[in-house]
Amino acid sequence: MEKIVELKNVSKVYKIGENEFKALDNIDLELNKGEMIVVLGPSGAGKSTLLNLIGGMDSPSSGEVIIDGENISSYNENKLSSYRAENVGFIFQFYNILPSLTVKENVDIVKDIVKNPIPTEEALKSVGLEEHKNKFPNQLSGGEQQRVSIARAVAKNPKLLLCDEPTGALDSHTGVDVLKLLRKQCDANHGANTVIIVTHNSLIADIADTVIHVKNGKIESVVKNPNPKKIDEVKW
Amino acid sequence: MLFKKMLRDLKHNKSQFITIFLMVFLAVFAFSGIHAYMDGMKFGSEEYYKKQNLQDLWVTKENFSKEDLEKVKELDNVNNAERLLRIKANVVNPEDYTNKTTGKELKEFVIECNFIESNDINQLYVQKGEKFDVNKSGLWFDEYLAENLGIKIGDEIELSYEGLTLKEKVVAIVEAPDHVYFMKDETAIFPTHTDYGFAYLSINELPEMFHVFPYMIVDVDDLSQLKEVKASIKENIDNVITVTDREDDISYSGFLREAEEGESYSGIFSGLFVFIAILSVVTTMNRFVKRERTQIGTLKALGIKKRKITWMYVNYGFFISVVAGVLGLFIGRYTLGSFFLNMELVYYEIPYLHTYLIPLVYEVAIGIVIVITLVTYLSCRKILKEKAAEAIRVEIPKVKISKFDITTKGIFKRASLSTKWNLRDVLRNRARTFMALVGIMGCTMLVVVALGMFDSLNEYMRWEFEVINHFDYRLNLSENYTDSQYEAIIEKYGEKTSQSVGVEFKNDDEIELNALTINDAKGLLQTTDHNKKPFEMKNDGIYITEKMSKLKNLKVGDTVEWRIVATDKWYKSKIAGLAKDPQNQQFYCTKDYFETLEETTYRPDSIYTNKDLSKIKEINGVNTIQSIGNIRSEMDNMLQMMFMVIYLLIGISIALGFVIIYNLGILSFTEKEYQFATLKVLGYKNKQIKKIFIKQNIWITIVAILLSFPVAFWVTDYIFANAIGDIYDFNAYIRPITYAISGLGSFIVSYLINKFLARKINKIDMVSSLKGNE
Ligand SMILES: Nc1ncnc2c1ncn2[C@@H]1O[C@H](COP(=O)(O)OP(=O)(O)OP(=O)(O)O)[C@@H](O)[C@H]1O
Ligand SMILES: [Mg+2]
Repeated sequence: MEKIVELKNVSKVYKIGENEFKALDNIDLELNKGEMIVVLGPSGAGKSTLLNLIGGMDSPSSGEVIIDGENISSYNENKLSSYRAENVGFIFQFYNILPSLTVKENVDIVKDIVKNPIPTEEALKSVGLEEHKNKFPNQLSGGEQQRVSIARAVAKNPKLLLCDEPTGALDSHTGVDVLKLLRKQCDANHGANTVIIVTHNSLIADIADTVIHVKNGKIESVVKNPNPKKIDEVKW
Repeated sequence: MLFKKMLRDLKHNKSQFITIFLMVFLAVFAFSGIHAYMDGMKFGSEEYYKKQNLQDLWVTKENFSKEDLEKVKELDNVNNAERLLRIKANVVNPEDYTNKTTGKELKEFVIECNFIESNDINQLYVQKGEKFDVNKSGLWFDEYLAENLGIKIGDEIELSYEGLTLKEKVVAIVEAPDHVYFMKDETAIFPTHTDYGFAYLSINELPEMFHVFPYMIVDVDDLSQLKEVKASIKENIDNVITVTDREDDISYSGFLREAEEGESYSGIFSGLFVFIAILSVVTTMNRFVKRERTQIGTLKALGIKKRKITWMYVNYGFFISVVAGVLGLFIGRYTLGSFFLNMELVYYEIPYLHTYLIPLVYEVAIGIVIVITLVTYLSCRKILKEKAAEAIRVEIPKVKISKFDITTKGIFKRASLSTKWNLRDVLRNRARTFMALVGIMGCTMLVVVALGMFDSLNEYMRWEFEVINHFDYRLNLSENYTDSQYEAIIEKYGEKTSQSVGVEFKNDDEIELNALTINDAKGLLQTTDHNKKPFEMKNDGIYITEKMSKLKNLKVGDTVEWRIVATDKWYKSKIAGLAKDPQNQQFYCTKDYFETLEETTYRPDSIYTNKDLSKIKEINGVNTIQSIGNIRSEMDNMLQMMFMVIYLLIGISIALGFVIIYNLGILSFTEKEYQFATLKVLGYKNKQIKKIFIKQNIWITIVAILLSFPVAFWVTDYIFANAIGDIYDFNAYIRPITYAISGLGSFIVSYLINKFLARKINKIDMVSSLKGNE
């Protein structure tokens, strides 16, 4: 299997006054291309930190972060933003869409950063928002807002889709819709896209190809799931 | 715990609080400084006049007798009266004295000697030496002159006057209340205190035959009865020539004019400083509290008393404005105020003039603190009123979508996303945008107004000294020149002449005093039209100035009835046209017209020439030779003081503008940091984000600059049209280049500050700013 993410001996250390705190402690990790990966772990374990390192939002204190064969931990600011622009889509718990742009415009901004984005109309259609495209975010429900952020992420057609608690603020029904969309993205592009989902909800683990447990800044386990369930099979 | 939070907040929002501090400080500093100076002039002189009992009336007659004096003293409402002899005596050996500043020996040295019998009115202010005593001999000598010439108590000065010589020792160094603004003669424009001064002596120093008193000074009890006292003096004393009050006195009114001159424009400036600063600070505090919304909600949810929370936030605004206000008050007064006052003291001879803060200044400073505190309090209370659960939730911007309608239609439909985004951001944050617009507009406007005042004054100088007075020299003829002298003068210098006479004219039953200049100096002494272009008067009537036409309600075609002062023959003249003059509002006519009137003879009193007279000292039949170049440079000198104030106002405007733009920048950056972080995560390059950030503030700056221009013109015009005296008539004149420079300056300042602030975008930490907000 082709590797999309390789972490070699990665640490992330925060200095708080005199003390040092290791949010990630000498992690080694390899993730396969085309998989749906779920990261589980208690609060404060370092899940978000891990995701941010992979997404190039943050740099490790030591170690190497290799994405698709490129060591991004040596990138400068400018290269990192290009890396994010071209390879990574982010989805956050609180959507992070721009309140003064319409739904369509929120997706349109992708055109400013990537050369060949998926047309906005198509991206909106895929998340079922084409009817709402001229609304502003505060005219949408939470689930709809989250779908905007998915449309925006998807429009970039990224190799990596990184999701930090994407269903955290949604009811289970809307959450399921969102998960379906994520699965769809994973399967698109002939299965070359990778989706990483950080969550507290262990049920989501059932639909993943790989489940990673993080605890105290260390990888506790990496479990392969040869037969992931269909989303509709899971009892939420 | 709250205190700790406060300290941390202060540190975290350091630049925001520093700008708030600076805005309050600058506004109060300017307000206090300018007022301390202006009011210091006014109240200092009032105090002086009161303590030293400056006379209320000046009366002249050929010679006041003892009986006259007693009679006046007996009149109702008269407190006291004194007689006075005033002569201009020459110092016998002027070359013995050197001007300390230039190091040059004097060529001529004149002392105005005031011989008095007592000194209860217009009491001398003794700096050094003894009090005035009629039984003592010696000179009570002009302090400024003594200072400039190094004259000390005990020095002997030899004076001569019409064959009489007096040798007098200086017994005291004094200042006199009626010699505050004191100049050599009518042709001088400002006091130099170098080769001319005053002294007081006992009348007993003169031989009996010289005891003549052409002046009487009167102290009136009840100033509301001034008119009556004037009338009763005229009635009871024979042969009185004039009775004049303080308003007619050059020293009194000259100083008052100086004190009041700056009042209008510096009032406008310092008032605007305060307004702009309050506006910015209030908006900033309001936004700051709003930004703390979730924190406030959390503290409340924790069960901390509302009062405590409010108190904490109110404290920020309160302490910062109190400290800035107090510092501004005192530093403004003692640096700015003292500086200007000391500059005035070079010209005006007045003791114990000190900066003075009227209650208004304190009230304004307290008002600023109250407004800032109150707004902080209200913003805080509004948030505290929400249910705790609501406040903790992140505020979903409440904005009517219809407000954005324009940005989804028409030309905006095709605008770039960053343009749309900025446009909507502006619409959404209207208070912030408004504050920014007003702040930048105000400061740019103040700079344009200040520079516009230079332009206007320079334009006035050009008009007065290049167009109206289009000659190099003016010869003021002696009163009793002979025909042969006149012939000789015109032979040499040409016959471009004029005569000025005092006239009385009837206007609505009242008889008013004015002047008529009969102009026969074509091309040299010119009358100008509304556009300041010279025109030739016709011979079919008299001309009046535009301002006079307005003030006296006289129109072209009207007939005025007038006569020459001290004659009985009334004339009826048609008003043939209007002239515009910057500083004389009066009548004009041609010689030909004047001679068509009965019983008039044209006898020139001035001759104008462009011949070079710089080496000529004396001409037979000529009283004084005035060089227009000299007058102009003296005028320039006098304007220097005003220019200094204007420079300073420009400086403060720029500083305030700087702080306001910076403050706006920080504010809009902090409020958008979260959105910028989102863009950054998406993969926007820092450069792209910077562009978006700068765009909005540049727009606001450009709009503000464009709006400021018409307002600036209007304000400048207001200052010149209304705020200065009735005798002046000139408008704002602002050169295009002035607009260009001020506009470009504002733009560059704004651009650079925003460019500088945009560097913060590099430092946005995506992880923590996204976390921080949610
Ligand atoms: N900027 C920071 N400074 C100091 N410590 C930090 C910082 N960011 C994170 N940490 C610490 O690193 C640890 C891991 O944080 P992280 O956000 O990755 O946790 P998480 O696993 O995502 O938790 P949660 O499920 O609650 O989101 C935490 O203990 C946190 O306190
Ligand atoms: Mg997390």
